[in-house]
Amino acid sequence: MRILAPFALLASVVALAAGDGGGPDGRLSLEEARSFTGFPLFYAGQEVDGLPLTAILRRDDGADYVSFVYGDCTPVSDAGCAVPAEVQVWESADRNAGSYDRSAPGSPPLERTTIRGRPAALVGDGALEIYTDESTVVVFAGTRERRLAIARALRCVRGERSGAGDGLLECRS
Amino acid sequence: MSRVLLSTLLAAMSLLLVAPPAPAHFDGSGRYTHVACPGTAATRSDPVNVVFGTWGTWGRAESQVETHVGWTATSGSTQHFLDHGGCFAQHAQRASGEGSRFHVRIRGQHWDSGFGWTAAAGAHHEDLVLFPFPCGHAVDANGPGGSGFDQGRDELEARFRAAGHETSRAWWGNTQSFKQCDGDYAASDGWTLFVRLHQVNH
Repeated sequence: MRILAPFALLASVVALAAGDGGGPDGRLSLEEARSFTGFPLFYAGQEVDGLPLTAILRRDDGADYVSFVYGDCTPVSDAGCAVPAEVQVWESADRNAGSYDRSAPGSPPLERTTIRGRPAALVGDGALEIYTDESTVVVFAGTRERRLAIARALRCVRGERSGAGDGLLECRS
Repeated sequence: MSRVLLSTLLAAMSLLLVAPPAPAHFDGSGRYTHVACPGTAATRSDPVNVVFGTWGTWGRAESQVETHVGWTATSGSTQHFLDHGGCFAQHAQRASGEGSRFHVRIRGQHWDSGFGWTAAAGAHHEDLVLFPFPCGHAVDANGPGGSGFDQGRDELEARFRAAGHETSRAWWGNTQSFKQCDGDYAASDGWTLFVRLHQVNH
C-alpha cells in the first residue's frame, strides 16, 4: 500500500485537473463542483498549506454536503486514516451553531470567534466552523494554525466573488 | 505539638466531608477513535457514534450487544478512545462475523452525573475487500443507506429499541472523512446515538 500511495495521489490530482467526471462513488470533478447550484461552495484552491486538492466528494444521503479533501494518508485493513485537511460545505439550514444541543451529554465545547467577517466556532477537538448566510464551511485539520491558514485561503468555487485573504467570506449559489 | 497536628488533621477531614465532589461528566471532546496513543488529529480512525449510558458500563454494553444484536465475534484491531485528556485502549469489540460485517468497539468512560456509567463506542459496517487487490476490512463509503458508520449506528439503534431500550440522538458534528483501504472515503453523518442500558430492562 505504501508503494501504491504516491501513484494513487498522482492519479487523483490528474483526474481533478482533467475534469474527470463524477462517478458512482460520489466523487466530483472541479468542473462539476463549479456547476453545483445547491448552495454556495467554498474551497481553499487547488493547493493550500502545501497540500494538494486530492478529491472532491458529494454526499446527499441524509447528510448533504460537498467535501474538498487536501493531501493523502495511507489506510490499512480495519483502520481508516484521517487526511491532513478537509473542507466540508453544508447548507447553513442543515448545519449551524444551533445544531449543537448544549444540554446533551458529551456535546463538544464551542469557542466562538469571527473569521473573515463571519461568525465562527472552534469546535471540540479540531474543527473550525464558519457560518455564512447560506453555507456553513467546516474545516478539519490537525492544528489550529493550519485550520486558520485554510480559512484565510477560502474562496468561491465559482463566481470568485470572494477571493482568498482577509476579506468578507461571501459567495453566490 | 500533637494537639496542633490533631486539630489540623480534623480540620482537613471536615473539609473533605463537606466539600462538593469534583464535577463528573461524560467527556465528549474526543469524538473520534485513534489507531494509537497519544491521540492526535493524525491518528484518528473512526467517529465515536454511539454512547451507552444509565448503567452503561463497558461490560454491560458488550453483553447486551451480544444479546440484543447478536454480534458475538471478537476479532478486529485495537483502537483507542480519549477521556478527560487521557488516551486509552478499547475495552471490548464485537462483530457480526468475520467477512463483511457489522463491528463495534467499546470503551468504558467517565461516570456522568446525569447519564450515569457510560461507555463510548464506534460502530460501523465494513466490507471484506479482496478485489482488485486484497486489503481487508474497509468501512462502507458514503451512499444511499448512509456511510458504513451510519449503518452500524442505525443497526444498533433498531435492535436496542426493539429490545425496549430508550434511545436518543445528539448532534456531535464529527463528520470528518476517513480514507479506507479500498481508496473510498467514509464519514459519519454527525449524529451520535445514546442508548440507555437501565437495569429495569434486565
